[in-house]
Amino acid sequence: MEYALFLGCTVPARARNYELSTRRVAEALGIELVDLDGFVCCGFPIKSVHYESFLLTAAKNLILAEEKGLDICALCSACTSMLTEVNKELGENNELREKVLKKLGVKKKFRFKHAIRVKHFARLLYEDVGIDKIKSKLQKDLSPLKIAAHYGCHYLKPSDIYDNFDDPEHPKSLDELIEATGAATVNYENKNLCCGAGTLAFDENIAFSMSGKKLSSIKDTGADAISLICPFCSVMYDNNQPSIESKFNKRYNLPVLYYPQLLGLALGISEKELGFNMNRVKVTSLLEKLKQ
Amino acid sequence: MASILIVDDEKVVCKSCERILKPEGHNVDSALSGEEALDKIEKKKYEVVITDLKMPGIDGMKLLNIVKEKYEKVDVIMITGYASIDTSVEAMKLGAFDYVPKPFTPEELRNVIERALERRRLLEEERDKARRTYVRFEYTMPDNLYYLPEHAWAKLEQDGNVIAGIDDLFQKSVGKIINIKLPDVGDSVEQGKLCSEIEDVSRRIHKLWSPISGEIIEINDKLGSDPSLLNSDPYGQGWIIRVAPSEPEGELKNLIYGEALIKWWLRREIIEKKEDKYLQVSALDPGFKYEIAEQPGGENIKVCFGCGVCTASCPVREIDDTYNPRKIIRMALLGMRDAVLKSAFIWLCSTCYTCTERCPQGVKFTDVINAIKNIAVKEGYIHPALRMQAELLEKEGRLYEIGDFDNKRREKINLPKVHSEKNAISEIFKVSGFKEIMEKEA
Repeated sequence: MEYALFLGCTVPARARNYELSTRRVAEALGIELVDLDGFVCCGFPIKSVHYESFLLTAAKNLILAEEKGLDICALCSACTSMLTEVNKELGENNELREKVLKKLGVKKKFRFKHAIRVKHFARLLYEDVGIDKIKSKLQKDLSPLKIAAHYGCHYLKPSDIYDNFDDPEHPKSLDELIEATGAATVNYENKNLCCGAGTLAFDENIAFSMSGKKLSSIKDTGADAISLICPFCSVMYDNNQPSIESKFNKRYNLPVLYYPQLLGLALGISEKELGFNMNRVKVTSLLEKLKQ
Repeated sequence: MASILIVDDEKVVCKSCERILKPEGHNVDSALSGEEALDKIEKKKYEVVITDLKMPGIDGMKLLNIVKEKYEKVDVIMITGYASIDTSVEAMKLGAFDYVPKPFTPEELRNVIERALERRRLLEEERDKARRTYVRFEYTMPDNLYYLPEHAWAKLEQDGNVIAGIDDLFQKSVGKIINIKLPDVGDSVEQGKLCSEIEDVSRRIHKLWSPISGEIIEINDKLGSDPSLLNSDPYGQGWIIRVAPSEPEGELKNLIYGEALIKWWLRREIIEKKEDKYLQVSALDPGFKYEIAEQPGGENIKVCFGCGVCTASCPVREIDDTYNPRKIIRMALLGMRDAVLKSAFIWLCSTCYTCTERCPQGVKFTDVINAIKNIAVKEGYIHPALRMQAELLEKEGRLYEIGDFDNKRREKINLPKVHSEKNAISEIFKVSGFKEIMEKEA
């Protein structure tokens, strides 16, 4: 099981705990994540300002992976969505593909969709590794934990690029992955609500209100933590949690774990190797709960 | 109840109108000439002016013109002899609410007043809704029809026949329609003259003037069993008659054509010195929707039927109602190019795709708003935050620079070094033409 690891912009700079835990979990489960030189931004920030630049940027990354004959594994949901979309578009639209290759000055024929796949790490765990194999590798009992799954948006949407993987209105893959660790999941109001990160640069009030709404809903369930799979979402719920608390005069103190951190715990990987010291909202009490 | 001014050079007409309207609780005054009427209007606020068309001195048309120019909100109803029907149609184009042909019954007068007052109430309600921008477009009609303003519409079909029906604001001011008295196939109708009578839930009868002359070749039978179609779909299934027109070329010119109608509405608002609230006609660009449709992702914008699922599902809208996907689509379809491109709200999409997932028509609004933003950028309206991001990407190949310091931190926790990809995206911006756009704007 070999994949080109696509880190994108945010993960290597602001979510090293996500990257670290992903690499360790992948090792433990026999997934080989290959680092390729030459990957750039997925194109997401330029889609809304200049579509053609977005296409070319995403295509550049896809070509690099196709050249090496590797499927892409992305950690950020927005990267996953953008690369999947362009891979599909260029695979299906011959005219556009020719135009893009010409603009990039690429002579060799690349086939995109028909040559490589793009997968989010969580989907890879769910489909390629599978719940049963994950369960067979467990070292530690996480059953004392109650976890709220946050799917975010781009992991499953727009659904027409994801070949019917999971149901965006009633998703279950992340809940099943969490339950595979032995932890319980909670159902909560606003489960499909967006984190609001997409609006953060334009209107902080909107972004914080959206995140605050979900933090409140999750807090009401008595969950020990949120588990999520996108660095943008984590920036909102973890890094910005103190700001949201002061803005709305609330106290959440709700730990935010990347799913690989949670899974890593269950696989017996050390706390240090999972980068818990880099989480903004302290996870000490949660870890204590497991030691009792 | 309303303040009403009756203007007629025949005292007996004034008196009889007073006798009809005073028992309804209205405050009614009379004036025996246009000059006297203007004097009274200057001193007292009237909601409705009912004026005879033919008077010595300032006649009904002149009075209408002056009133509409100076006191836009006053509704003017014309009293006409049958001989002056052509002028009545013209009067409606100039802003008269409706006309009452002589001789009229007390009930006819009462009903037209009721309808005028109901319409005022509807418009006031719209205006008061937090003084929302562009409210009048809630009443915007299809743009390929000919209108007798706020009353009836006519549509020229390919075979030269004309179908006709009632206007949306007319049906709204009448309220629930329970019955319609239809003419027969073979009957002749004349422009501006009675073609049908509509009964509302309070059993009031409202007269419908035909927008076109000719022989009726078909009537909409469905209306007999289901008059509610007039309320639910006035421009579609609620059509009333199909006419073989006798002189379409001349008569259609008497009406106001689709796009021009929007202008007609706007003129009235502009007179009210509310230019800032309503866009100027020159700002309307009917090609805007095609421009969006040509952008990747904008293709489906024209199939939106305005159900509002996008808006109802939007988590940003829930917090800030200046971001309203349905309204943005409506504005785009109407050609409000400048207003959309210059707005701050187009940048507020969180790209959660909920609207896209739920749209029953397959309009991918997340992509539509991106298409709009792409056009805005070409026009020089790039949001500063996105400009900053684009500049970072151009310089570093990624949103966050990863320098030696960061790589050392990565190394400490056994993460591999991240190589700099300077120039990679800058090359892309050059070949795509985006660099040129950014430079032009800087």
